[in-house]
Amino acid sequence: MSLTRRSFTSALGAGWLALNGAAIAAAAHEARAKAAEANGAQAEAATKGAHTGAAMRVLTRSQARDVDAIASQIIPTDRDPGAHEAGAVYFIDHALAGFFSAHREDFQTGYADFASRVGQESKVPFADLPHDEQIRILHTVEETPFFLIVRYLTILGFLADPRYGGNRDGIGWRLVGFEDTHVFEPPFGYYDKDYAGFEPYAKAPAADPK
Amino acid sequence: MAARRFKDTDVIDFAIVGSGAAGGVLARELSQAGFEVVVLEQGPRLSPADFKHDELDYWFANGLINNPVRNPQTFRTTPAQKAIRVVDYPSLMYARIVGGSSNHFTANFWRFHEIDFHERSVLGEISGTGFADWPITYAELEPYYTKVEWEVGVSGLAGASPFDPPRTKPYPMPPLPVKSSGVLLERGARKLGLHPFPAPMAIASVPFRGRPACVHCGFCIGFGCEVMAKSSSLVTMIPEAEATGRCEIRPESYVFEVRTDKKGRATGVAYFDRNKHEHFQKAKAVVLAANGAETPRLLLNSASSHFPKGLANSSGLVGKYLMFNSGGDVGAVFEHELNEYKSVQVTRLVHDFYDTDPKRGFYGGGGIDGRLGPAPASWALAAVPPKPSWGAGFKAVLRDFPRSMIAETHTTSLAQEANSVSIDPELKDAWGIPAMRCTYQDHPDDLATARFLQARAKEILDAAGAKQSWILPTVDNSVSVHLLGTCRMGNDPHTSVIDKYHRTHDVPNLFLCDGSSFVTSGRGQPTMTIQALAFRAAHYIGEFARRNEI
Repeated sequence: MSLTRRSFTSALGAGWLALNGAAIAAAAHEARAKAAEANGAQAEAATKGAHTGAAMRVLTRSQARDVDAIASQIIPTDRDPGAHEAGAVYFIDHALAGFFSAHREDFQTGYADFASRVGQESKVPFADLPHDEQIRILHTVEETPFFLIVRYLTILGFLADPRYGGNRDGIGWRLVGFEDTHVFEPPFGYYDKDYAGFEPYAKAPAADPK
Repeated sequence: MAARRFKDTDVIDFAIVGSGAAGGVLARELSQAGFEVVVLEQGPRLSPADFKHDELDYWFANGLINNPVRNPQTFRTTPAQKAIRVVDYPSLMYARIVGGSSNHFTANFWRFHEIDFHERSVLGEISGTGFADWPITYAELEPYYTKVEWEVGVSGLAGASPFDPPRTKPYPMPPLPVKSSGVLLERGARKLGLHPFPAPMAIASVPFRGRPACVHCGFCIGFGCEVMAKSSSLVTMIPEAEATGRCEIRPESYVFEVRTDKKGRATGVAYFDRNKHEHFQKAKAVVLAANGAETPRLLLNSASSHFPKGLANSSGLVGKYLMFNSGGDVGAVFEHELNEYKSVQVTRLVHDFYDTDPKRGFYGGGGIDGRLGPAPASWALAAVPPKPSWGAGFKAVLRDFPRSMIAETHTTSLAQEANSVSIDPELKDAWGIPAMRCTYQDHPDDLATARFLQARAKEILDAAGAKQSWILPTVDNSVSVHLLGTCRMGNDPHTSVIDKYHRTHDVPNLFLCDGSSFVTSGRGQPTMTIQALAFRAAHYIGEFARRNEI
């Protein structure tokens, strides 16, 4: 099968696999499944109706500040806008209320661990730490399910359709050079511009063994 | 002619379960042959205009497919384990709408080669597997491959691949315009002495049978085609079936049981309508084309005192020998822009490694194509180098999007009895029907083949001048859209579920035709062969009905 249907899970990384793998406690999994069911209708509504700038549905104010700060380190702002300008944190909030709600508990548990780890080293929340200190801490958690969830949703919030609250004004699409246009014509890129045409093969190689 | 409507109490000629690649062909062929047909489709009927360019909905929120919230499944790798409920994506994935997965497929439409049908005879037994020959040959299927190309609609260049099996007609449409990924794949492969060729695609390259040509929007894989250029059942076979005045497509009709009488003959199908009200559609014969996961599930859920192991399951093989197709990906960045998000996925293909070569030390072979993969978010999550995964370095990777492509390999899966679709002992779906359980573990040869082809693909991209290339991790398959082998065809009722005409060995008026009919996996891209089988099955089923032999 094609890339990605199977690769999404692996894209989430080893921590994610440990979280979702066969070893997971059946009870926890069942709880998640039930949550998924309970949130099914809501999930559908949220993926269809989310819009930019709405009030937070899941994240508290301090969580939103921290998640925004983490997202800003995942896709930082440089000469071009990053996850912060794209409004990734709004997307993440909508996702946790919507299509990703089955993992809300994982997120909340992970956030609590993350905040307590930060709290052991610092008197201020993650969002208020100096830039280099944020990077240092994120390196220590980059394989945790919590970070992988935030990374996953940050990338989606940067590149998914703007109507889900992130990718504001197509900031993410502009960065990657994706044109949201319905019709294209060849040539599509540099290498197909001067293609001379398909040259047939002179002689057939050995056929299938019979 | 207006589409016909039947009553549940009408004893129609054929109840067809599933409206996808196979169901659409069967409906069109049987209704054109003069039979009365009702197609029961569990999903809704969307019109092409309903399809969206919405990556989040279709790729991440399971918008078009069997959503595991409503259609739950469990997964395990071996029968010794307790299967756990999957949450994010179904393991056995299909588009749950009229037209089925022919709506959201990538539309790669190569024919199987002659070897695919008799490879067991050539290579001998592979111990611990159900590796077997098909009861039909390529030559028997060839006329029906041609029908798919001309009546469903396939673009391609006949004779371009030196490995192609014999054909009786050229393609009805020229290949789609080559993309930069195709040019580069071709350049690299030719440098290595290989034989790349224009990919056959079930997408209109020119206006075809009342449908427009592709506008190169780029949203094929995992998306429905709103311009109707992709040759889905929704826009090809189904309207032609309805135009006969003898075929009704009945959406949101979820069949949960095939019922039989005391003589062991099928009497019709029980289903829920959109309001979860139960109905029973009477029929003289039943054809299941519900896909390689739902067809065996339906048979197993139709167990009765007459058929205690499940309907048509005297062999015990219903649901077994599930095959996914293995494969893997290689990413690459080039100096200039490719803009692979434009147009169809695949324009060039390499079949030089199609055959098994015993010298490699493992069974298997496959194809290599050039493409991007899906839309930007999926690409950023799954197709870029594993590190750096965040920060300034990751942002730099994102900027490479227009210069990026992947080479994808499509390879064999060996039939293993333990790999299966079965009924979960506890879990039920939103209708209270026992849910499906998937058991799947790649054979070591499947993974070896996938890695072998990945290494060849990397050589091709490097030869094409890639600035950087990387082999993406090959992981054990636990999710697939290729649902194959679960009701295999064969001549011996002890070792197969259906005969070579798709009739179940056990129930004379019950036929199965979809990916479940496969005996081997081919090298990926099964839909072309599913549809060729459906044309062939429809021919024989119609003949049997005419001769009163059902």
